[in-house]
Amino acid sequence: MASPSQPAIELRGITHTFGGSFTALKEAGLEATAGSFVSVVGPSGCGKSTLLNIAAGLLSPSQGEVRVFGQRLEGINRRAAYMFQQDALLPWKTVRENVALGLVFRGKEMPVALREADGWLTRVGLDGFGNSFPYQLSGGMRKRAAMAQCWITAPDIVLMDEPFAALDVHTRMRMQQEVLELWGNAGQTVLFITHELEEAIALADVVAVLSAGPESRIIAEHRVDLERPRNLVDIRLDPRYQELYRKIWGDLREEVLKSFAGR
Amino acid sequence: MPGGNWIRVWQLAVGVAALGAWEGGVRAGLLDQFFFSRPSDIGARLGEWLRSGSIWAHLGTTLAEAALAFLIGVALGVAMGFALARMPRLAAVLDPYIRIANALPRVVLAPIFLLWFGLGIWSKVALGVTVVFFIVFFNTWQGVREVDPVLVNNARMLGASERQLTRHVLLPSALSWIFSSLHISIGFAMIAVVVGEYLGASRGVGYLIAQAEGVFDTTGVFAGMAVLAAVVLAVGAGVNRLELWLLRWKPRVPDSTYQ
Ligand SMILES: Nc1ncnc2c1ncn2[C@@H]1O[C@H](COP(=O)(O)OP(=O)(O)OP(=O)(O)O)[C@@H](O)[C@H]1O
Ligand SMILES: [Mg+2]
Repeated sequence: MASPSQPAIELRGITHTFGGSFTALKEAGLEATAGSFVSVVGPSGCGKSTLLNIAAGLLSPSQGEVRVFGQRLEGINRRAAYMFQQDALLPWKTVRENVALGLVFRGKEMPVALREADGWLTRVGLDGFGNSFPYQLSGGMRKRAAMAQCWITAPDIVLMDEPFAALDVHTRMRMQQEVLELWGNAGQTVLFITHELEEAIALADVVAVLSAGPESRIIAEHRVDLERPRNLVDIRLDPRYQELYRKIWGDLREEVLKSFAGR
Repeated sequence: MPGGNWIRVWQLAVGVAALGAWEGGVRAGLLDQFFFSRPSDIGARLGEWLRSGSIWAHLGTTLAEAALAFLIGVALGVAMGFALARMPRLAAVLDPYIRIANALPRVVLAPIFLLWFGLGIWSKVALGVTVVFFIVFFNTWQGVREVDPVLVNNARMLGASERQLTRHVLLPSALSWIFSSLHISIGFAMIAVVVGEYLGASRGVGYLIAQAEGVFDTTGVFAGMAVLAAVVLAVGAGVNRLELWLLRWKPRVPDSTYQ
Protein backbone atom coordinates (compact mmCIF):
# COMPACT_ATOMS: atom_id res chain seq x y z
CA MET A 1 0.00 0.00 0.00
CA ALA A 2 1.08 3.57 -0.71
CA SER A 3 2.31 6.00 1.93
CA PRO A 4 -0.41 6.81 4.43
CA SER A 5 -0.79 10.44 3.45
CA GLN A 6 -1.12 9.88 -0.28
CA PRO A 7 -4.69 10.42 -1.49
CA ALA A 8 -6.24 7.19 -2.73
CA ILE A 9 -8.79 9.18 -4.62
CA GLU A 10 -8.95 12.84 -5.53
CA LEU A 11 -11.83 14.67 -7.16
CA ARG A 12 -10.57 17.96 -8.59
CA GLY A 13 -12.82 20.77 -9.74
CA ILE A 14 -15.61 18.42 -10.78
CA THR A 15 -18.36 20.09 -12.75
CA HIS A 16 -21.09 17.97 -14.24
CA THR A 17 -23.91 19.09 -16.49
CA PHE A 18 -26.75 16.77 -17.46
CA GLY A 19 -28.28 17.14 -20.91
CA GLY A 20 -26.35 20.33 -21.60
CA SER A 21 -28.48 22.45 -19.28
CA PHE A 22 -28.73 21.15 -15.71
CA THR A 23 -25.51 21.64 -13.76
CA ALA A 24 -25.67 19.19 -10.86
CA LEU A 25 -22.11 19.70 -9.59
CA LYS A 26 -19.93 22.76 -9.91
CA GLU A 27 -16.25 22.79 -8.98
CA ALA A 28 -16.68 20.07 -6.40
CA GLY A 29 -13.43 18.91 -4.85
CA LEU A 30 -12.74 16.10 -2.40
CA GLU A 31 -9.89 13.83 -1.50
CA ALA A 32 -9.60 10.73 0.60
CA THR A 33 -6.24 9.70 2.01
CA ALA A 34 -5.38 6.05 1.62
CA GLY A 35 -7.01 3.94 4.29
CA SER A 36 -9.41 6.60 5.47
CA PHE A 37 -13.16 6.45 5.79
CA VAL A 38 -14.80 9.51 4.26
CA SER A 39 -18.53 10.18 4.48
CA VAL A 40 -20.28 12.60 2.16
CA VAL A 41 -23.55 14.07 3.40
CA GLY A 42 -25.91 16.40 1.61
CA PRO A 43 -29.60 17.05 1.10
CA SER A 44 -31.61 14.82 -1.21
CA GLY A 45 -31.00 15.36 -4.91
CA CYS A 46 -27.87 17.47 -4.41
CA GLY A 47 -25.65 15.27 -6.55
CA LYS A 48 -24.17 12.70 -4.16
CA SER A 49 -24.75 9.74 -6.46
CA THR A 50 -23.49 11.75 -9.42
CA LEU A 51 -20.27 12.48 -7.53
CA LEU A 52 -19.81 8.82 -6.64
CA ASN A 53 -20.52 7.66 -10.20
CA ILE A 54 -17.81 10.04 -11.35
CA ALA A 55 -15.39 8.61 -8.77
CA ALA A 56 -16.30 5.12 -10.06
CA GLY A 57 -15.66 6.12 -13.65
CA LEU A 58 -19.22 5.18 -14.63
CA LEU A 59 -19.79 8.82 -15.53
CA SER A 60 -17.16 11.12 -16.93
CA PRO A 61 -17.36 14.67 -15.62
CA SER A 62 -18.04 17.62 -17.92
CA GLN A 63 -15.03 19.33 -16.35
CA GLY A 64 -12.42 18.44 -13.79
CA GLU A 65 -10.57 15.22 -13.20
CA VAL A 66 -10.44 12.21 -10.94
CA ARG A 67 -7.09 10.92 -9.75
CA VAL A 68 -6.71 7.42 -8.34
CA PHE A 69 -3.46 6.92 -6.43
CA GLY A 70 -2.05 9.83 -8.39
CA GLN A 71 -3.13 8.57 -11.80
CA ARG A 72 -5.71 10.31 -13.90
CA LEU A 73 -8.81 8.11 -14.21
CA GLU A 74 -9.94 7.09 -17.68
CA GLY A 75 -12.97 4.80 -17.97
CA ILE A 76 -13.99 2.45 -15.16
CA ASN A 77 -12.12 2.78 -11.89
CA ARG A 78 -10.49 -0.66 -11.72
CA ARG A 79 -9.23 -0.21 -8.18
CA ALA A 80 -12.65 0.47 -6.74
CA ALA A 81 -15.64 -1.63 -5.76
CA TYR A 82 -19.08 -0.06 -5.72
CA MET A 83 -21.97 -0.87 -3.43
CA PHE A 84 -25.15 0.51 -4.92
CA GLN A 85 -28.14 2.07 -3.23
CA GLN A 86 -30.44 -0.37 -5.09
CA ASP A 87 -30.16 -4.15 -5.05
CA ALA A 88 -27.55 -5.02 -7.62
CA LEU A 89 -27.19 -8.78 -7.16
CA LEU A 90 -27.95 -10.63 -10.39
CA PRO A 91 -31.36 -12.21 -9.72
CA TRP A 92 -30.61 -15.23 -11.95
CA LYS A 93 -27.50 -16.28 -10.07
CA THR A 94 -27.38 -17.93 -6.69
CA VAL A 95 -25.90 -16.02 -3.79
CA ARG A 96 -22.55 -17.78 -3.98
CA GLU A 97 -22.36 -17.32 -7.76
CA ASN A 98 -23.09 -13.64 -7.20
CA VAL A 99 -20.38 -13.28 -4.60
CA ALA A 100 -17.91 -15.11 -6.85
CA LEU A 101 -18.70 -12.87 -9.82
CA GLY A 102 -15.84 -10.41 -9.43
CA LEU A 103 -13.32 -13.27 -9.34
CA VAL A 104 -14.89 -14.99 -12.33
CA PHE A 105 -14.71 -11.75 -14.31
CA ARG A 106 -11.03 -11.56 -13.44
CA GLY A 107 -10.49 -14.97 -14.98
CA LYS A 108 -10.51 -17.27 -11.93
CA GLU A 109 -11.72 -20.82 -12.45
CA MET A 110 -15.33 -21.23 -11.36
CA PRO A 111 -14.72 -23.87 -8.66
CA VAL A 112 -11.90 -21.83 -7.11
CA ALA A 113 -13.98 -18.67 -7.18
CA LEU A 114 -16.95 -20.46 -5.62
CA ARG A 115 -14.81 -21.87 -2.83
CA GLU A 116 -13.52 -18.40 -2.05
CA ALA A 117 -17.08 -17.08 -2.17
CA ASP A 118 -18.13 -19.67 0.43
CA GLY A 119 -15.48 -18.32 2.78
CA TRP A 120 -16.87 -14.83 2.35
CA LEU A 121 -20.42 -16.00 2.90
CA THR A 122 -19.30 -17.36 6.26
CA ARG A 123 -17.62 -14.06 7.09
CA VAL A 124 -20.77 -12.05 6.44
CA GLY A 125 -22.99 -14.57 8.26
CA LEU A 126 -24.70 -16.10 5.24
CA ASP A 127 -23.61 -19.68 5.86
CA GLY A 128 -26.13 -22.05 4.33
CA PHE A 129 -27.66 -19.50 1.99
CA GLY A 130 -25.12 -19.90 -0.81
CA ASN A 131 -27.49 -21.81 -3.04
CA SER A 132 -30.46 -19.50 -2.52
CA PHE A 133 -31.47 -16.99 -5.14
CA PRO A 134 -31.48 -13.31 -4.12
CA TYR A 135 -35.28 -13.11 -4.00
CA GLN A 136 -35.23 -15.71 -1.24
CA LEU A 137 -33.18 -13.49 1.09
CA SER A 138 -34.28 -10.64 3.34
CA GLY A 139 -33.20 -7.08 2.57
CA GLY A 140 -30.44 -7.18 5.17
CA MET A 141 -29.13 -10.51 3.89
CA ARG A 142 -29.01 -9.16 0.36
CA LYS A 143 -26.91 -6.27 1.62
CA ARG A 144 -24.55 -8.71 3.30
CA ALA A 145 -24.19 -10.60 0.06
CA ALA A 146 -23.53 -7.31 -1.76
CA MET A 147 -20.82 -6.50 0.79
CA ALA A 148 -19.15 -9.86 0.23
CA GLN A 149 -19.44 -9.31 -3.52
CA CYS A 150 -17.56 -6.01 -3.16
CA TRP A 151 -14.88 -7.10 -0.71
CA ILE A 152 -14.00 -10.43 -2.35
CA THR A 153 -12.13 -8.61 -5.11
CA ALA A 154 -9.86 -6.99 -2.50
CA PRO A 155 -10.43 -3.48 -3.83
CA ASP A 156 -8.24 -0.57 -2.72
CA ILE A 157 -11.23 1.74 -2.68
CA VAL A 158 -14.82 0.99 -1.73
CA LEU A 159 -17.55 3.34 -2.92
CA MET A 160 -20.85 3.06 -1.10
CA ASP A 161 -24.00 4.94 -2.08
CA GLU A 162 -26.50 5.02 0.80
CA PRO A 163 -26.14 1.25 1.02
CA PHE A 164 -28.37 0.82 4.05
CA ALA A 165 -30.99 3.49 3.43
CA ALA A 166 -33.70 0.92 2.76
CA LEU A 167 -33.13 -1.08 5.97
CA ASP A 168 -34.83 -0.82 9.34
CA VAL A 169 -32.96 0.95 12.15
CA HIS A 170 -31.65 -2.15 13.91
CA THR A 171 -30.55 -4.02 10.82
CA ARG A 172 -28.88 -0.84 9.64
CA MET A 173 -26.88 -0.55 12.85
CA ARG A 174 -25.70 -4.15 12.54
CA MET A 175 -24.69 -3.61 8.94
CA GLN A 176 -22.79 -0.46 9.86
CA GLN A 177 -20.90 -2.38 12.50
CA GLU A 178 -20.07 -5.06 9.94
CA VAL A 179 -18.79 -2.49 7.47
CA LEU A 180 -16.51 -1.10 10.13
CA GLU A 181 -15.20 -4.57 10.86
CA LEU A 182 -14.53 -5.37 7.20
CA TRP A 183 -12.87 -2.00 6.75
CA GLY A 184 -10.86 -2.37 9.95
CA ASN A 185 -9.48 -5.72 8.78
CA ALA A 186 -8.58 -4.78 5.25
CA GLY A 187 -7.88 -1.06 5.52
CA GLN A 188 -9.36 0.14 2.25
CA THR A 189 -10.25 3.70 1.49
CA VAL A 190 -13.99 4.11 1.81
CA LEU A 191 -16.13 6.82 0.25
CA PHE A 192 -19.51 6.53 1.92
CA ILE A 193 -22.50 8.52 0.70
CA THR A 194 -25.40 9.10 3.04
CA HIS A 195 -28.04 11.69 3.78
CA GLU A 196 -27.97 10.83 7.46
CA LEU A 197 -25.57 12.83 9.52
CA GLU A 198 -25.61 10.37 12.46
CA GLU A 199 -24.45 7.54 10.26
CA ALA A 200 -21.85 9.75 8.60
CA ILE A 201 -20.23 10.76 11.89
CA ALA A 202 -20.46 7.36 13.54
CA LEU A 203 -18.58 5.65 10.73
CA ALA A 204 -16.16 8.17 9.29
CA ASP A 205 -12.78 9.81 9.83
CA VAL A 206 -13.89 12.77 7.74
CA VAL A 207 -17.37 14.06 7.03
CA ALA A 208 -17.69 16.20 3.89
CA VAL A 209 -20.80 18.31 3.36
CA LEU A 210 -22.20 18.79 -0.13
CA SER A 211 -24.29 21.92 -0.68
CA ALA A 212 -27.86 21.90 -1.95
CA GLY A 213 -28.18 21.57 -5.72
CA PRO A 214 -28.03 22.63 -8.43
CA GLU A 215 -24.36 23.57 -8.80
CA SER A 216 -23.44 21.72 -5.64
CA ARG A 217 -19.96 21.69 -4.25
CA ILE A 218 -18.23 20.49 -1.11
CA ILE A 219 -18.67 23.32 1.40
CA ALA A 220 -17.02 21.85 4.48
CA GLU A 221 -14.91 18.95 5.71
CA HIS A 222 -14.91 17.93 9.35
CA ARG A 223 -12.46 15.58 11.05
CA VAL A 224 -14.07 13.02 13.32
CA ASP A 225 -11.48 12.20 15.97
CA LEU A 226 -13.48 9.63 17.93
CA GLU A 227 -11.31 6.67 18.84
CA ARG A 228 -11.64 3.29 17.18
CA PRO A 229 -12.86 0.64 17.37
CA ARG A 230 -16.19 2.32 17.84
CA ASN A 231 -19.27 0.94 19.49
CA LEU A 232 -22.10 2.16 17.30
CA VAL A 233 -24.78 1.30 19.85
CA ASP A 234 -23.50 3.78 22.44
CA ILE A 235 -21.60 6.28 20.34
CA ARG A 236 -24.56 8.60 20.10
CA LEU A 237 -24.32 9.20 23.83
CA ASP A 238 -20.68 10.30 23.62
CA PRO A 239 -20.46 14.07 24.34
CA ARG A 240 -17.78 14.55 21.69
CA TYR A 241 -20.04 12.87 19.14
CA GLN A 242 -22.84 15.22 20.10
CA GLU A 243 -20.61 18.25 19.84
CA LEU A 244 -19.49 17.20 16.35
CA TYR A 245 -23.07 16.57 15.42
CA ARG A 246 -24.10 20.09 16.41
CA LYS A 247 -21.18 21.60 14.56
CA ILE A 248 -21.72 19.73 11.28
CA TRP A 249 -25.49 20.06 11.50
CA GLY A 250 -24.90 23.82 11.54
CA ASP A 251 -23.50 23.52 8.00
CA LEU A 252 -25.93 20.90 6.77
CA ARG A 253 -29.04 22.56 8.18
CA GLU A 254 -28.72 25.57 5.88
CA GLU A 255 -28.38 23.33 2.84
CA VAL A 256 -31.34 21.20 3.80
CA LEU A 257 -33.46 24.33 4.26
CA LYS A 258 -32.26 25.64 0.88
CA SER A 259 -33.21 22.37 -0.74
CA PHE A 260 -36.70 22.68 0.79
CA ALA A 261 -37.02 26.22 -0.55
CA GLY A 262 -35.91 25.05 -3.98
CA ARG A 263 -38.80 22.63 -4.24
CA MET B 1 -56.01 -28.55 -3.72
CA PRO B 2 -59.78 -28.91 -4.22
CA GLY B 3 -59.88 -25.81 -6.48
CA GLY B 4 -57.62 -27.50 -9.02
CA ASN B 5 -59.89 -30.55 -9.36
CA TRP B 6 -62.92 -28.37 -9.67
CA ILE B 7 -61.42 -26.57 -12.61
CA ARG B 8 -60.38 -29.84 -14.28
CA VAL B 9 -63.91 -31.20 -13.98
CA TRP B 10 -65.40 -28.10 -15.53
CA GLN B 11 -62.81 -28.01 -18.29
CA LEU B 12 -63.68 -31.58 -19.18
CA ALA B 13 -67.39 -30.81 -18.99
CA VAL B 14 -67.06 -27.90 -21.44
CA GLY B 15 -65.18 -30.08 -23.92
CA VAL B 16 -67.62 -32.97 -23.66
CA ALA B 17 -70.59 -30.61 -23.97
CA ALA B 18 -69.18 -28.92 -27.07
CA LEU B 19 -68.36 -32.18 -28.81
CA GLY B 20 -71.68 -33.67 -27.70
CA ALA B 21 -73.62 -30.71 -29.07
CA TRP B 22 -71.72 -30.97 -32.36
CA GLU B 23 -72.33 -34.72 -32.65
CA GLY B 24 -75.96 -34.38 -31.53
CA GLY B 25 -76.59 -31.46 -33.87
CA VAL B 26 -75.36 -33.44 -36.87
CA ARG B 27 -77.28 -36.57 -35.89
CA ALA B 28 -80.48 -34.57 -35.34
CA GLY B 29 -80.06 -33.01 -38.78
CA LEU B 30 -79.54 -29.45 -37.46
CA LEU B 31 -76.03 -29.33 -38.91
CA ASP B 32 -75.19 -30.54 -42.39
CA GLN B 33 -72.83 -33.48 -42.14
CA PHE B 34 -71.29 -32.61 -45.51
CA PHE B 35 -70.02 -29.26 -44.20
CA PHE B 36 -69.49 -30.07 -40.55
CA SER B 37 -68.58 -33.75 -40.44
CA ARG B 38 -68.95 -35.37 -36.97
CA PRO B 39 -66.59 -35.75 -34.01
CA SER B 40 -67.07 -39.54 -34.15
CA ASP B 41 -66.08 -39.63 -37.84
CA ILE B 42 -63.10 -37.36 -37.19
CA GLY B 43 -62.00 -39.59 -34.32
CA ALA B 44 -62.37 -42.66 -36.53
CA ARG B 45 -60.28 -40.97 -39.25
CA LEU B 46 -57.54 -40.11 -36.77
CA GLY B 47 -57.57 -43.74 -35.58
CA GLU B 48 -57.27 -44.91 -39.16
CA TRP B 49 -54.32 -42.58 -39.82
CA LEU B 50 -52.56 -43.79 -36.73
CA ARG B 51 -53.24 -47.49 -37.42
CA SER B 52 -52.11 -47.37 -41.01
CA GLY B 53 -49.22 -45.09 -40.06
CA SER B 54 -49.89 -42.88 -43.09
CA ILE B 55 -49.92 -39.76 -40.92
CA TRP B 56 -46.36 -40.08 -39.68
CA ALA B 57 -44.60 -39.18 -42.91
CA HIS B 58 -46.73 -36.05 -43.29
CA LEU B 59 -46.43 -35.10 -39.67
CA GLY B 60 -42.68 -35.72 -39.76
CA THR B 61 -42.26 -33.42 -42.75
CA THR B 62 -44.31 -30.65 -41.15
CA LEU B 63 -42.50 -31.00 -37.84
CA ALA B 64 -39.09 -30.96 -39.50
CA GLU B 65 -40.00 -27.81 -41.44
CA ALA B 66 -41.42 -26.10 -38.37
CA ALA B 67 -38.43 -27.09 -36.24
CA LEU B 68 -35.95 -25.79 -38.82
CA ALA B 69 -37.93 -22.58 -39.26
CA PHE B 70 -38.11 -22.17 -35.51
CA LEU B 71 -34.43 -22.81 -34.82
CA ILE B 72 -33.13 -20.66 -37.66
CA GLY B 73 -35.63 -17.91 -36.87
CA VAL B 74 -34.78 -17.90 -33.16
CA ALA B 75 -31.01 -17.92 -33.80
CA LEU B 76 -31.23 -15.05 -36.27
CA GLY B 77 -33.72 -13.15 -34.14
CA VAL B 78 -31.68 -13.38 -30.94
CA ALA B 79 -28.45 -12.48 -32.74
CA MET B 80 -29.96 -9.50 -34.55
CA GLY B 81 -31.88 -8.35 -31.49
CA PHE B 82 -28.66 -8.31 -29.49
CA ALA B 83 -26.64 -6.63 -32.21
CA LEU B 84 -29.11 -3.82 -32.72
CA ALA B 85 -29.69 -3.26 -29.00
CA ARG B 86 -25.93 -2.91 -28.54
CA MET B 87 -25.50 -0.71 -31.62
CA PRO B 88 -28.18 1.97 -31.40
CA ARG B 89 -26.82 3.86 -34.41
CA LEU B 90 -27.05 0.85 -36.68
CA ALA B 91 -30.55 0.27 -35.29
CA ALA B 92 -31.55 3.85 -36.12
CA VAL B 93 -30.29 3.48 -39.69
CA LEU B 94 -32.02 0.13 -40.25
CA ASP B 95 -35.22 1.10 -38.45
CA PRO B 96 -37.35 2.02 -41.53
CA TYR B 97 -36.30 -1.11 -43.38
CA ILE B 98 -37.13 -3.33 -40.44
CA ARG B 99 -40.55 -1.72 -40.28
CA ILE B 100 -41.15 -2.21 -44.00
CA ALA B 101 -40.09 -5.85 -43.85
CA ASN B 102 -42.26 -6.50 -40.84
CA ALA B 103 -45.28 -4.74 -42.36
CA LEU B 104 -45.29 -7.17 -45.28
CA PRO B 105 -48.00 -9.87 -44.95
CA ARG B 106 -46.04 -13.12 -44.91
CA VAL B 107 -48.54 -15.10 -46.97
CA VAL B 108 -47.65 -13.10 -50.09
CA LEU B 109 -44.08 -14.31 -49.71
CA ALA B 110 -45.14 -17.94 -50.08
CA PRO B 111 -45.38 -17.93 -53.91
CA ILE B 112 -42.03 -16.14 -54.16
CA PHE B 113 -40.38 -18.67 -51.87
CA LEU B 114 -41.95 -21.48 -53.91
CA LEU B 115 -40.26 -20.04 -56.98
CA TRP B 116 -36.96 -19.50 -55.21
CA PHE B 117 -36.70 -22.67 -53.17
CA GLY B 118 -38.96 -25.10 -55.03
CA LEU B 119 -41.72 -27.41 -53.80
CA GLY B 120 -39.54 -29.14 -51.16
CA ILE B 121 -39.21 -28.27 -47.50
CA TRP B 122 -37.00 -25.18 -47.85
CA SER B 123 -39.70 -22.91 -49.26
CA LYS B 124 -41.77 -23.70 -46.14
CA VAL B 125 -38.82 -23.26 -43.83
CA ALA B 126 -38.09 -19.85 -45.36
CA LEU B 127 -41.67 -18.75 -44.84
CA GLY B 128 -41.58 -19.93 -41.22
CA VAL B 129 -38.28 -18.15 -40.61
CA THR B 130 -39.66 -14.78 -41.73
CA VAL B 131 -42.45 -15.14 -39.17
CA VAL B 132 -40.41 -16.45 -36.23
CA PHE B 133 -37.50 -14.09 -36.81
CA PHE B 134 -39.46 -10.88 -36.34
CA ILE B 135 -41.25 -12.00 -33.20
CA VAL B 136 -38.03 -13.15 -31.54
CA PHE B 137 -36.04 -10.22 -32.87
CA PHE B 138 -38.36 -7.54 -31.48
CA ASN B 139 -38.63 -9.26 -28.10
CA THR B 140 -34.88 -9.73 -27.76
CA TRP B 141 -34.21 -6.16 -28.78
CA GLN B 142 -36.68 -4.91 -26.22
CA GLY B 143 -35.40 -7.30 -23.56
CA VAL B 144 -31.80 -6.19 -23.93
CA ARG B 145 -32.73 -2.52 -23.83
CA GLU B 146 -34.84 -3.02 -20.71
CA VAL B 147 -31.96 -4.42 -18.67
CA ASP B 148 -31.71 -2.73 -15.29
CA PRO B 149 -28.81 -0.24 -15.65
CA VAL B 150 -27.81 -0.86 -12.02
CA LEU B 151 -27.09 -4.52 -12.84
CA VAL B 152 -25.02 -3.47 -15.83
CA ASN B 153 -23.07 -0.92 -13.80
CA ASN B 154 -22.50 -3.40 -11.01
CA ALA B 155 -21.13 -6.00 -13.42
CA ARG B 156 -18.89 -3.40 -15.04
CA MET B 157 -17.54 -2.31 -11.66
CA LEU B 158 -16.85 -5.95 -10.85
CA GLY B 159 -14.67 -6.07 -13.95
CA ALA B 160 -16.91 -7.64 -16.59
CA SER B 161 -15.69 -7.45 -20.18
CA GLU B 162 -18.15 -6.74 -22.96
CA ARG B 163 -18.47 -10.49 -23.63
CA GLN B 164 -18.93 -11.36 -19.96
CA LEU B 165 -21.53 -8.62 -19.68
CA THR B 166 -23.50 -10.20 -22.52
CA ARG B 167 -23.23 -13.69 -21.14
CA HIS B 168 -23.85 -13.02 -17.44
CA VAL B 169 -26.17 -10.02 -17.53
CA LEU B 170 -27.76 -9.13 -20.87
CA LEU B 171 -28.67 -12.59 -22.13
CA PRO B 172 -30.20 -13.86 -18.86
CA SER B 173 -32.04 -10.59 -18.44
CA ALA B 174 -33.50 -10.79 -21.94
CA LEU B 175 -34.38 -14.43 -21.47
CA SER B 176 -37.85 -13.93 -20.05
CA TRP B 177 -38.68 -11.70 -23.02
CA ILE B 178 -37.24 -14.22 -25.42
CA PHE B 179 -39.29 -16.97 -23.81
CA SER B 180 -42.53 -15.08 -24.06
CA SER B 181 -41.79 -14.78 -27.77
CA LEU B 182 -41.04 -18.50 -28.09
CA HIS B 183 -44.54 -19.45 -27.01
CA ILE B 184 -46.04 -17.33 -29.75
CA SER B 185 -43.50 -18.18 -32.41
CA ILE B 186 -43.95 -21.95 -32.08
CA GLY B 187 -47.58 -21.58 -33.05
CA PHE B 188 -46.73 -19.18 -35.85
CA ALA B 189 -43.93 -21.36 -37.20
CA MET B 190 -46.46 -24.18 -37.45
CA ILE B 191 -49.04 -21.97 -39.16
CA ALA B 192 -46.49 -20.63 -41.65
CA VAL B 193 -45.18 -24.03 -42.76
CA VAL B 194 -48.70 -25.46 -43.01
CA VAL B 195 -49.78 -22.50 -45.14
CA GLY B 196 -46.70 -23.10 -47.28
CA GLU B 197 -47.61 -26.77 -47.67
CA TYR B 198 -51.18 -25.86 -48.41
CA LEU B 199 -50.13 -23.61 -51.28
CA GLY B 200 -47.81 -26.12 -52.91
CA ALA B 201 -46.18 -29.28 -51.64
CA SER B 202 -46.18 -33.02 -52.03
CA ARG B 203 -46.09 -33.92 -48.33
CA GLY B 204 -47.00 -32.55 -44.95
CA VAL B 205 -50.12 -32.00 -42.87
CA GLY B 206 -50.94 -28.84 -44.85
CA TYR B 207 -50.78 -30.88 -48.04
CA LEU B 208 -53.03 -33.49 -46.45
CA ILE B 209 -55.59 -30.84 -45.57
CA ALA B 210 -55.42 -29.35 -49.06
CA GLN B 211 -55.95 -32.81 -50.57
CA ALA B 212 -58.96 -33.49 -48.33
CA GLU B 213 -60.42 -30.12 -49.16
CA GLY B 214 -59.96 -30.81 -52.88
CA VAL B 215 -62.36 -33.75 -52.64
CA PHE B 216 -64.75 -32.03 -50.19
CA ASP B 217 -63.65 -34.38 -47.41
CA THR B 218 -64.47 -32.22 -44.36
CA THR B 219 -63.65 -35.08 -42.02
CA GLY B 220 -60.09 -35.13 -43.38
CA VAL B 221 -59.75 -31.35 -42.98
CA PHE B 222 -60.90 -31.47 -39.35
CA ALA B 223 -58.71 -34.47 -38.58
CA GLY B 224 -55.68 -32.60 -39.97
CA MET B 225 -56.53 -29.59 -37.82
CA ALA B 226 -56.78 -31.82 -34.74
CA VAL B 227 -53.32 -33.24 -35.42
CA LEU B 228 -51.82 -29.75 -35.74
CA ALA B 229 -53.46 -28.52 -32.54
CA ALA B 230 -52.20 -31.55 -30.60
CA VAL B 231 -48.64 -31.06 -31.84
CA VAL B 232 -48.57 -27.32 -31.03
CA LEU B 233 -49.89 -28.03 -27.52
CA ALA B 234 -47.29 -30.76 -26.91
CA VAL B 235 -44.39 -28.59 -28.07
CA GLY B 236 -45.73 -25.65 -26.04
CA ALA B 237 -45.75 -27.83 -22.92
CA GLY B 238 -42.11 -28.71 -23.59
CA VAL B 239 -41.18 -25.04 -23.85
CA ASN B 240 -43.06 -24.39 -20.62
CA ARG B 241 -40.94 -26.91 -18.76
CA LEU B 242 -37.74 -25.53 -20.21
CA GLU B 243 -38.83 -22.05 -19.21
CA LEU B 244 -39.65 -23.11 -15.66
CA TRP B 245 -36.18 -24.51 -15.32
CA LEU B 246 -34.29 -21.67 -16.98
CA LEU B 247 -36.25 -18.98 -15.13
CA ARG B 248 -36.17 -20.79 -11.78
CA TRP B 249 -34.57 -17.71 -10.21
CA LYS B 250 -37.81 -15.82 -10.56
CA PRO B 251 -40.08 -15.73 -7.53
CA ARG B 252 -43.13 -17.88 -8.25
CA VAL B 253 -46.52 -16.30 -8.08
CA PRO B 254 -47.65 -17.00 -4.52
CA ASP B 255 -49.98 -20.00 -4.24
CA SER B 256 -52.62 -17.92 -2.51
CA THR B 257 -53.61 -16.27 -5.80
CA TYR B 258 -54.86 -19.63 -7.03
CA GLN B 259 -57.03 -20.35 -4.01
N1 LIG C 1 -29.16 11.09 -15.89
C1 LIG C 1 -29.60 12.27 -15.43
N2 LIG C 1 -30.12 13.18 -16.30
C2 LIG C 1 -30.54 14.39 -15.85
N3 LIG C 1 -30.49 14.79 -14.59
C3 LIG C 1 -29.97 13.94 -13.69
C4 LIG C 1 -29.51 12.64 -14.06
N4 LIG C 1 -29.05 12.01 -12.95
C5 LIG C 1 -29.24 12.88 -11.94
N5 LIG C 1 -29.78 14.03 -12.38
C6 LIG C 1 -30.09 15.23 -11.56
O1 LIG C 1 -28.93 15.60 -10.88
C7 LIG C 1 -29.23 15.94 -9.55
C8 LIG C 1 -28.39 15.12 -8.62
O2 LIG C 1 -28.79 13.75 -8.70
P1 LIG C 1 -28.16 12.64 -7.75
O3 LIG C 1 -28.81 11.37 -8.08
O4 LIG C 1 -26.69 12.71 -7.86
O5 LIG C 1 -28.64 13.16 -6.33
P2 LIG C 1 -28.41 12.49 -4.90
O6 LIG C 1 -27.77 13.50 -4.04
O7 LIG C 1 -27.75 11.18 -5.04
O8 LIG C 1 -29.92 12.30 -4.43
P3 LIG C 1 -30.53 11.22 -3.40
O9 LIG C 1 -30.11 11.63 -2.02
O10 LIG C 1 -32.00 11.39 -3.57
O11 LIG C 1 -30.02 9.89 -3.81
C9 LIG C 1 -30.71 15.74 -9.35
O12 LIG C 1 -31.35 16.99 -9.40
C10 LIG C 1 -31.13 14.90 -10.52
O13 LIG C 1 -32.42 15.28 -10.95
MG1 LIG D 1 -28.41 9.12 -4.69
